[in-house]
Parts: sequence; structure tokens; C-alpha cells
Amino acid sequence: MTGRAGGLLRSSLRRRRKEFTRFTGWSLLQAVPAFFSGWAVARAVDDGFLAGRTGAGFAWLGVLAGAIVIGAWATHHATLGLSALVEPLRDELVTLVTSGTLHRSAQVGTPADTAGVARLTEHVEIAREAYGAVVMFVQGFVVTSTGVLLGLATLDPVLLLFVLPPLLLGLGLFVGSLRALAARQRSVVLADERMAESVSALTGGLRDVVACGAEDVIRKQTGDPIDTTARATRALARTTALRTAALGIGGWLPLVLILAGAPWLVKGGVTAGAVLGAVTYVSQGLQPALQGLVQGVGGSGLWLLVTLGRIAEAAEGTPAEAAVRGRGMGQAKGSLTGAGAGLAAAGETSHRASTAARGSALASGASGASGTSRASRVELRGVTFRYARSAEPVISGLDLVLRPGEHLAVVGPSGAGKSTFAALVAGVLEPRAGQIRLDGVPVRSLDTDGLARHRVLIPQEAYVFAGTLWENLTYLEPGATTTAVDAAVDTVGARPLVERLGGYDAPVDHQELSAGERQLIALVRSYLPPAGLILLDEATCHLDPETEAGAEDAFARRPGTLIVCAHRISSALRADRILVLDGARADLGTHEELMAGSALYRDLVGHWEVTASPTP
Amino acid sequence: MDRRAADRLLLTAARRGGPWVAVMMATSLLLAGVYTVLPALMGRTVDAVLSGGDTAGWLSLSIAAIFVLMVCDTLDDLVGKLAEARSVAWVRHTLLRHVLGLGTRATRRFTSGDLVSRLVGNSARTGQVASTLVWAVMDLVPPLGAIVALALIDPWLCLTFLVGLPVVLLLVRTFVRDASDINEHYFDAQGRLAARLVDALTGIRTITAAGTVDREVRRVLGPLPELRRHGSGMWRALARVSSREALTVPLLEVAVLAVAGLELAQGRITPGQVLAAGEYVVVATGISSVVSSASRLALARATAGRVSEVLAEPTVRYGDEKLPDGPGRLEFRGVTVGASGSGAVLENLWLTVPGGALVAVAGRSGSGKSVLAALAGRLLDPDEGEVLLDGVPLPRLDRSALRKAVAYGFERPVLLGETFADAIAFGPRSVDADEVSRQAAAARADAFIRRMPEGYGTRLADAPLSGGEAQRVGLARAFVQAGRLLVLDDVAASLDTVTEHHISQVLTGAGALADRTRLVVTHRASTAARADIVIWLDGGGVRGQGTHRELWSEPSYRAAFQPVTGAGGEGPGGAGTGLPEGADAAARSPA
Repeated sequence: MTGRAGGLLRSSLRRRRKEFTRFTGWSLLQAVPAFFSGWAVARAVDDGFLAGRTGAGFAWLGVLAGAIVIGAWATHHATLGLSALVEPLRDELVTLVTSGTLHRSAQVGTPADTAGVARLTEHVEIAREAYGAVVMFVQGFVVTSTGVLLGLATLDPVLLLFVLPPLLLGLGLFVGSLRALAARQRSVVLADERMAESVSALTGGLRDVVACGAEDVIRKQTGDPIDTTARATRALARTTALRTAALGIGGWLPLVLILAGAPWLVKGGVTAGAVLGAVTYVSQGLQPALQGLVQGVGGSGLWLLVTLGRIAEAAEGTPAEAAVRGRGMGQAKGSLTGAGAGLAAAGETSHRASTAARGSALASGASGASGTSRASRVELRGVTFRYARSAEPVISGLDLVLRPGEHLAVVGPSGAGKSTFAALVAGVLEPRAGQIRLDGVPVRSLDTDGLARHRVLIPQEAYVFAGTLWENLTYLEPGATTTAVDAAVDTVGARPLVERLGGYDAPVDHQELSAGERQLIALVRSYLPPAGLILLDEATCHLDPETEAGAEDAFARRPGTLIVCAHRISSALRADRILVLDGARADLGTHEELMAGSALYRDLVGHWEVTASPTP
Repeated sequence: MDRRAADRLLLTAARRGGPWVAVMMATSLLLAGVYTVLPALMGRTVDAVLSGGDTAGWLSLSIAAIFVLMVCDTLDDLVGKLAEARSVAWVRHTLLRHVLGLGTRATRRFTSGDLVSRLVGNSARTGQVASTLVWAVMDLVPPLGAIVALALIDPWLCLTFLVGLPVVLLLVRTFVRDASDINEHYFDAQGRLAARLVDALTGIRTITAAGTVDREVRRVLGPLPELRRHGSGMWRALARVSSREALTVPLLEVAVLAVAGLELAQGRITPGQVLAAGEYVVVATGISSVVSSASRLALARATAGRVSEVLAEPTVRYGDEKLPDGPGRLEFRGVTVGASGSGAVLENLWLTVPGGALVAVAGRSGSGKSVLAALAGRLLDPDEGEVLLDGVPLPRLDRSALRKAVAYGFERPVLLGETFADAIAFGPRSVDADEVSRQAAAARADAFIRRMPEGYGTRLADAPLSGGEAQRVGLARAFVQAGRLLVLDDVAASLDTVTEHHISQVLTGAGALADRTRLVVTHRASTAARADIVIWLDGGGVRGQGTHRELWSEPSYRAAFQPVTGAGGEGPGGAGTGLPEGADAAARSPA
């Protein structure tokens, strides 16, 4: 975790050397008052007020005031300089999170948990603030302590003897405790997250907990993380005490030494002003800077590591997880996000490169966006699919050939593998055994663009994004003409919806649309591209039967091969042939053949039809 | 919000910190005292050194003070955090116990996310009250002491400081006002970006199939330039205030030093006092922390209010009676839920569900079907009237007796437990792996669970389920726990008719659970048709009661069922017309 976080920071800093140099310059200027403070006070006292030259005293203080004005001006610019380092990092992290979660979800086939995504957004914000704090405090300490030590040397080099050893001792102690601190801080964060998870599982399922009479079990299950969090907090507190001790040694011990050594110093000719100046240097320069360093690195720094680690994890694809279960869609080929520490740009490049290298064997098939689509021949040979080696197969040894232009309905009980079948044919899932060909070309050898040109797959949950209706409708065919869109809208039966929303330029908000309206938009969208194969995976399940029939007829009339995972038996009756899936078994035939030969099909038809009424 | 309840809670939480709280108060007091006197001691030491006075005495005092300070600082931090950890854990345990005691009352009163934030976030702030309070008060001691000390050294020093102070405070205040507006814009843009990401995630199957992931990444990142713009605004505001602070605070110190120098030149104060004055100005500017201390306290009070708001809700009380042997006869006597009158969900409902019967509950959505189901097992208490199981009013039953007698299946079950096996065996009855897979098979969940990578040992978190799959696992859980009464609230909503048919065989005829009282809420005519009795709810009460066949003649009864199941007969252009002769008969024959 620390390694990846460090990598992120280093690469971000490397790319902004110029900004960093500028920031360092302003920080140096910012330290001018720290350098002058003790010295000016010493001179003001020795050469001015104690020597009876009040004017000179004021003059020296005036010099200090001037230094303060310069310092304040530099502070302004240093803060802006800091923003030039921090803001780009935030942009990088946001991009990383977005690209990472989307690519990984696409790989696994199911959306990442949205609560986790929300937490990532928070992490980006924490990282942004923490990064700013760390850079500011570390830089501040380096610059200030340099100024102070130089100032002390100017007053009397011997003073360094009193300040430097305890300062180094304190710093050493702090640096030594950092590793333990980081570990403790991380376990607090992890314990907190585990607790939040179990609490949200509890509050989300309170009704079920009560209904199952499981209050005691859950009280223990959720109570344990609460205690773990408390233990982690206590452990962190004990380590933090070490940090506070380091601060005491580095910041206060020099003062003790200066005071204790003062008689000796004065005897050796050090003036009253110099003693005053030395105390001022330590208590007003060194101490606050050290405190900032310890709190900045010990607090924000650890947060920065923890959150950056989290973000880096989220951004990288985790193939182990992807392999667990690709329900519905499954693993995209190759590793889209395997660019390691790479930021989004790197990931994108490698992805592009790999797709380009594959080439699209069948680009000619449906390249013309003119609307003259050609129907595809679909061929499955001995296709077997299971979600894991040890699991039972969802589809087993399936053979199937669809003529170009054929209309197939897939029916079966829920969980029988209809969506898996669609995902396999669409080339989204890789079969464990067997071969799937579109127009003779193995479907998994096509790159993303080639696949998208050859077939359209519409899942049950229609995707409508915030944008205009036009943008949503032409999502798969950005160059579509108004005539083409008009035709698609009318054919699919979405005209009333388009009118209700106020035309193509109207903005759409998916929350204001019903599930059926969202499906209509998805249907028009997939009607537009000239793909040779259309797969509707229960894509009409939220439409009323009349609209559904109209939409399906539209797709059936369209030149092209059509596969419909049926939600209602009426869909099956419209098809040329029907595939009945039931676990690993499959039957294929026309309605009449299946009524005669498949008990399951008879069952399906029967229950779809009979349930209506007892017809007295 | 009840302020007094919040304050009481804060006090108890602070006390729960145990002896650490007392230790913290002692160390904090000592620390504040040392901070206040240390500059004076150092001044005296320097004077003693310069004038050859009692050097050893002042020196050892100063050094002792610094050591006390170092030790107390370390101890104070440690002890404060230890007390905090104890108080926070106490608040969380208390709240957790209470939420579980509230049961479904909690979910009706608060949303799930809201409860999480109260249990995780608010409880932490509430538990931190002791240290917050002590440190807020003690933080004020050194600055106030420093102002007094300045006055004691020389009244002019104090006056100079007091004149300059308002300028410092004013500048800090303007920043707070400046920044809040920019922050709002910033978080607004951030929220829009997050919303786009969540949208894209819900459509990930479409995006994957279309191969448009990279395009979606760009679309989601659309608000990024705006975010950057407002982010820069935040930095500009920060730059303004930090430069003002870097200017005013040190200049105030220089001003005081100038006055001190003047007094030194006139022999009214010593060099040591000049040193002390410089230190005191720095300490005294800490007075501006009074604002943040006050806001921290107000925040602790407000969050404690949110915690005590939950604690103020009365928990569900259970009786101590066991259930006598019986067939599972359920009675509703004059049950009203909701405000009496037009707003009631159910009003003065009288109803008897005979023991061992399969009873379907039908009605349009909003007619109170789920409320009736919740009443049957005390997931909800009626506002008036009572519900009895085998003659015992439900509130008189002991909690475990009640839960062993009544099992629930839900339309959208929340599956709890680590693995599928855990989720199905979740409840008071302990069962073995055989029983789990047997009931999963009865609920038609066995086959798809076996296709998971680890079968029943697969973690729920690794296996996103469709609505129908979750329903079947939830149903298996209900079957495992089934006692004399089984309440199924629309459990088959996402199931296809074949699966539903198989499941219904468990509940009817010679099925394993056919001897229980089964209360089944449904939108499906087929389910209602299989029931011994259908209770038809409408307008806050029972509109009709009888067999499905008897009630079917009522058009408004028919309207209570899903069009999907009714489509065969009624759907325009529907399937019925396309069905060949004889198919109908063929379909019926196996049943």
C-alpha cells in the first residue's frame, strides 16, 4: 500500500519539477522573518534600548517589521505555489478513480459497490488536503530551521551546540516512530471501515434481523468491530505519546540547555541581547516549525498514505476478484487497467495499443453507417461456460447455428443462463470450452470497436445518462442523421415519449423516467447502428405488452439476425426458433416442435398462459 | 432537539471515560498553569544571569517547569485519547443496543444511511466530549493569563496588545465568510462528478457491450475543469488569509516589543521582562481559538442531540410468555394502523386466519397488504387493537418464542451473514449443512448456489445476485426458520412462473411446509388461485374474503393482479391469439 502511494506521489512530483522549484523559492523568502527575528531582537536590545539609543532600537525592530512584510508577501505566493502542486494531484486522483472503477467494473461485468465509490470521492478530498498540509509543513520546517540555525550562528556559533543535538535527537525519535505510527494509523482506519461496513449492513437489514430474531447475533457481530476500533484507537494514542515526547525533546530541550548554559555563555562574552535572541529563535521559530512538521507528517502524512493506498488499489484492476464471478457480463479481455502505477493516460494508451494491434478482421462487414446492415451468421460449437473451475456449468456443450436474418427466442426459468448465453454470443464472456463465431470469425478475436460494429447487446437495465435525449439516442451511432433517428423512433414506437420529453434537445434525467421509458430509449439507440446481430436481453421487460410487441416486431423486420432473451412467452411465439435453457440442458426447435418434445417448454408456456384466471 | 437530553448524554459519555477523565483534567490544568508562568520564569532566569542574582534558584525553577510541561503534554494527549476511546465505545454500544431494541421502528423513523452516520460519525464526536470540553476550557487559560501577565509587566504592553487584537480577529473572520461560498461551489461540482460516475456504473453492462468505457470516463470527468476552477478559488482565499495572518500576528508582537524596548530604555522593565513580553504576546494571540473552541462545543452538543434523538425512541417491549401448542391460528381484533380516519392504512380490521391454512392476501398496491404481513409477526405494532397467535396477544410473547413461531420471507430480502450457508441459516434455529441445502433446493436456490465458485461457502459480497436469486435465498432462509406461521410478503415478485410453481409445491399438497399456517401476500392470480382463502384488502379494510374463484367475478378484484400474469387473456395482440389449438390443454395436463 505504502509503495503504491509513494509511487503516485513521486510521479506527480516528478512531472511538476518547475512548480516545485518555484514553490521552494517562495518558501525560502517566507523564512526571512524567521532568520531575522532573533537577530533583530538581539540588536535592538543590545545596540538600541540597553545602549540608550532608542532610535536604533526602533530601527532594528523596523527591519524586523520589513522582514515580516516580505514574509507575508512570500506566504501569499507560496500558498498559490502549493496549489499548483496540489490541484493537479487532485485531478490525477479523480481521473484515476473514475477510470479505474469504470474499467474494473467493465471487466467484472457488475457495477462496483456505489458506497465504496462514494468513499473514494472522500478519500480524494482527504488526500488533497493532507498532501497540501504535508508539503507545506515539511517545506516550512526545512526552511525555518535553516533560517533559525543560520541566525543562531550569526549571533554566536557556540549557540548551535545548545540547539542542534536535542533537535536532531527529537527528529530521530520522531522519524523512528513513524513506521509504528503509520501501522497504527492504518489499523485505526481499517477498523473504522470494518465497523462502518457492519453497521451499514445492520441498519440496511434491520427488518430482516428482527424477523429472524437475530438481534443477539448481530449485537455481537457489530459490537466486536466497535471494540476493535476502540483498541486500535488506544494503541494509536500510545504511539502518538512517543511523537509528543519527540516534540518535547526537539523543541523544549534546547531552551533548557540555553537557560542552563546562560551563566557560562554570559561569562564567555555573549550579550544579553544574544541570549534573548537565542530564546526567541527557539521558542518562536524552531518550536512552531517542529510542531508543524510532527503534526503534518504524523497526522496528515499518514492519512495521505492510507488514502492514496486506497485510491491506488481501486485504480488497479484486481484480477483475483474479477475471476470470482463475472455474472452477466464477465471479464473483458486482456487487462485494460493493468498499467500498474500508470495514471489514466497510461492505461488508456496501452488499451488503445492492444486493440489496434488486434486489428478488425471484419471491418468491412458493417462499416457503412449508411444503414445498410447485413445479417450475421451465428455459430456455436460445443460451448461450455462455468463461473469457476469448481462450479457447475451454466451452459454445457451447446451447439447452435443461426442463419443470417434468423430470429431466435431464448426462454427458461430465471437463473437458467439466458443472460450468460447472450453475453457469450456478444463476445463479452469467454467460454471455458468451445467456439463462438460471428460470420465465421471467432467472436473473441474481435477488438472492442469491431465487436461494437458487429453486434448490439441491450441488457435489462437500460442506461440513460444525464445529457440531451439526442445524445442518449445516438450513443451507439454518434453520426446519425435526424432522418435516421426519426425513423428509428417511429419504428420502435418511442414517438410519444420523445414528444412528452420535449424533443431531441431536451435534457433527460433518468430519475424522472420510468423503467419502461428508459428501455424505450435504449431500444431506439440500439436500432440505429447497422449491426448484423442484435441481442435483446430482457430489454423489453418493463414495457407494456402492446409496446413490447411493437418494439420486437420492429427489430424482427429490421434486416439482421435477432436474439431475444424472452421475458414473456409472447416473445417466443414471434420467433423463428426457440432455445429452451434449463441449467446445463438445452432444447432447440420451433414452437410446435418444442410443445411436442420439451416438457419444460410446455411448462413455461402453460404457466405463462394459464395463470391468468380460473375462468369459471 | 431536546437540549437537556443531549447534555445529559454528553455528561454520561464523559463519565464513561473512567479515571482517565480525572487524570486528564489534572494534567490539563497543570499544563495550562505551566504555560502561563513559564515566560515569566524564563525572564527572571535571564535577568538573574545578566545581573548575577539568584541564578541557580530561577534556573532550576525554569527547568523544572519545562520538564513538567514536556511530561504533562505527552500524558495529556495520551490520557485524553484513552478516555475518548472508552467514551466513544460506550456511546456506540449503547446506541447499537437501542437500535436493535427499536427494530423496525428505527427504520420507519430514520433512513439507513442516517442511522449509519449517527452510529459511526455522531457517536464519535459525542464520545470525544470530555476531552473537547476540558481542552476547550484549558486552551483559554494561557492566553487569558498571558494578557494579565502583560498587564503586570507593564500596563502599556497590555494596552498595545489589546488595541491590535481586534484587527487580527477581524481578518480571521472575513476568511470564514469568504471561503464558505467557494467551498459550496466546489463540493457541488464534486457531487455532480460523483453522480455521473454512479450513473455510468449502473449502466456498466451497456457500456461494456458497446465498448465505450473510455468515452464514459471522459464524460464523467466533464465537470473536472469547473472543479479545478473552484479549487483554485479556495487556494486564493487561503493564500489571502494566511498572508494576512503571517503579517498581523508578528507585527502585533513587534509593536509590543517596541513598547517594551521603550520601557527598557527608560529602566522601567528588565531585559528578562522584554523576553517574557515577547513570549506572552504569542501565547495571548491564542485567544482567537475561543471561536473554534466554542464551535467545537456546539458541534459536540448538536451531534449528541442526534444520538439522543435515537435513544429517546421507546424500544419494543416483549412479554415473557411461551406459546401454547396450537395450529398457528392468527387473529386480528379491531386492528388500526395509521391515524384513525381517512389517513389510516388499516382501520378496525377484524380477521381470523385459521390454523394450518394457506391464506393469500391480495389488493392493489397501497392497500395495506405488507402492513398486514408485518403485523402478523410483530414487525409492526398496531396503533389500536391487537393481534393474537393461538390465543396469545403477540406483545405478551417472549421474543425468542415469537421468532421461533413466525418466519418471514420478503420481496427484497436483505441477506445477512458472511457466506450463502450463513445467510440461509441466519436465525435462532441452529441447522446443519444438509438442512441448509435441502431448504435451498426447496426454494429453487440450490442449483445456482452450486454454480458459484465456492458453492455454499461463496461470500455474499463476491456474488452480486439478481432480484430473483436474492428472493430465493431469502425464501430458503424463511423455510429453514419456519415455525407454525410462515409469512411470505410478495416473495415471488421477481421469479418466473415455473420457478414459482415449483416453490409453491413445497407450500401446498404434500409439501414439507404444507401443514403450517401460510400467509402469502401476492400480486399473482396463480398464487391466489392455489390458496384456501383469499383476503382481499381495499380501502383500509377487508373488501372480500373467499376463494379466488368466488372473488374473480369482481372487476376491481381482478384489477389487483399483475398484468403480466393476466396478459394471456387480455393483452391486446397478446400471446393467447398466437397459441395453437391444444397447447392450452397440453400445458395444463402435467399440473
